[in-house]
Amino acid sequence: MNKGEPLLEVRGVSKRFGGLQALKDVDFSVAEGSIHAIIGPNGAGKSTFLNVLIGLIEPDQGSVTFAGEPIRGLKPYKIIQRGIARVFQTPQIFPGMSLLQNVAIAAVAKRDGQFNTKVLESLGPRHPIVDEAGDLLARVGLGDYLHAAAEHLSRGDKRRLELAVCLVAHPRLLLLDEPTAGMARHDTNRTIDLLKEISETGMTKVVIEHDMHVVFSLAERITVLAQGQVIATGRPEEIRGNPRVQEAYLGGAHAA
Amino acid sequence: MGRSPFAADLIAVGLFAAVVLTMPVWIVWIGGYEALATKIVIWAVFALGFDILLGFTGYLSFGHAAFFGTAAYTTGLCLKHLSADILPAFFITGGVSLVVAFVIGLLTLRRSGIYFSILTLAFAEMLHAAALSILQAYTGGDNGLTMHTKPELLGIRMEGLNVFYLAAIVAILGFFAARQIKRSPFGLMLRAIKENAMRLEYTGVNVWAYKMAAYMISAMYASLAGFLMVVLEPYVATKFLHWSTSGEVVIMSVIGGVNTLIGPMIGAAFMLYFENVIQAFIGEQWRLVLGLVFVLIVIFLPGGFVDGFNRIRRAVGLGGRERHHNVPDAPAPVRENRGDRAARQPGE
Repeated sequence: MNKGEPLLEVRGVSKRFGGLQALKDVDFSVAEGSIHAIIGPNGAGKSTFLNVLIGLIEPDQGSVTFAGEPIRGLKPYKIIQRGIARVFQTPQIFPGMSLLQNVAIAAVAKRDGQFNTKVLESLGPRHPIVDEAGDLLARVGLGDYLHAAAEHLSRGDKRRLELAVCLVAHPRLLLLDEPTAGMARHDTNRTIDLLKEISETGMTKVVIEHDMHVVFSLAERITVLAQGQVIATGRPEEIRGNPRVQEAYLGGAHAA
Repeated sequence: MGRSPFAADLIAVGLFAAVVLTMPVWIVWIGGYEALATKIVIWAVFALGFDILLGFTGYLSFGHAAFFGTAAYTTGLCLKHLSADILPAFFITGGVSLVVAFVIGLLTLRRSGIYFSILTLAFAEMLHAAALSILQAYTGGDNGLTMHTKPELLGIRMEGLNVFYLAAIVAILGFFAARQIKRSPFGLMLRAIKENAMRLEYTGVNVWAYKMAAYMISAMYASLAGFLMVVLEPYVATKFLHWSTSGEVVIMSVIGGVNTLIGPMIGAAFMLYFENVIQAFIGEQWRLVLGLVFVLIVIFLPGGFVDGFNRIRRAVGLGGRERHHNVPDAPAPVRENRGDRAARQPGE
């Protein structure tokens, strides 16, 4: 099953918010090149976990290792610069700017690093950065709206735009927080195809998802979180048959 | 937008240069005078730099008088005690301003929104208070700082039109530089800060460094203006550090049009023209009228003069650019109807 060495290794991560134990002693490991899904009921700590990975939340204890180097405690932009990208649950884009500009920002961040002083360069219509942005937008299916302001997009398209913003940086690890939430079935399937397509380029992905259709059509491994703890990790068929998971999550979902 | 950036630049900067360089002539036609033209150009530099901070990054500084005033005092002291030549004063003022901008930036840019505004105001007020108290021996306190020799530049006396053309060159170069910043990768990042600083941070960008850079560039424009002000009139008033100076540049930006570069400069011209020429016609109530104009613009033309100009162009079918309402509380229909901002390129 393993395509390679673990790209991301999390050991014993815990986080408490006041009286709430959001994460408790979480171990997690993602093999390079694989798609790993995290599922669990609402409030299980899934988003908190992703936030820990990118430095948005500092864990109380535990270690996070990416590509063999510890990244816990680094500033978020430094973690991102090492090759991680994150698609948020609520699409985070640059609303008043054109789609091209949205993606060009990320392309510049990839090319020039965390800070550049390139004031003499002009980002005109035929600039390589702009071309690259246009190509990528076409790939995610937004090629017809290159010059529209991002805020005019539908929710599903905003998500796709955010995905393009993340992909243009060619991250080694892509974190997706419910990438298909709010999408119609047709759009969901297109997104699944797109995610599969980019996984063929060897990009590692961690996906949080509620939609079991998405999870079971994408993931090679699944980790189940409940009340901040990992209750199971394994291949999709193992997870499907795991009684603890059915009780904590799938069963609960059926009951509801 | 088919023109190449270079051609567009040649037209915009050339037009701007033509208007500025002929100002001493045409301002007389509309009831002004030569020194007013110089003052307008100097304040235009101040307002232009302010737009790099407020217009690009969305950070509203209420303490830019700190840079304007500090530069004015530094220049004044250099001219008085060191040399009547403005070159040493220019370099020393530049150095001092960089340090002041870095220190104040370091302390204020940790916060955003209203907290940033209040912090910048507090620092400017502290400098103002210092000029009136512990630094009184150097600043002359309430009396201000008076130089007794006319400033020179390499033997040329800096008075009248000489000062005007110096200021005009600074303004034209400053305008060109601001336009170039706007369409550069660096400028793209500054504008992304206003749009979504969090997304920018999680795209791998050191947002703080960009904010600091924008703040310092903006402060350097303000310092240049303060320097030129003292070259124009060899006198430094404590008002240069006063909060009302910070307030004026904010008002200029808003009535002219934030994030348009040209707008704040038009706002500066309008304010000074109003204060010096219109005042003669309407007497004591001029402040009242100016206040009313400000209120009317904010309510009915929140994009300032530049937006008004574009609205007229659209009305007569010339297709002016629609204003970008980058205001969190803009009414929903305004945000929905934002139409033809389409044909824009990154960096434009």
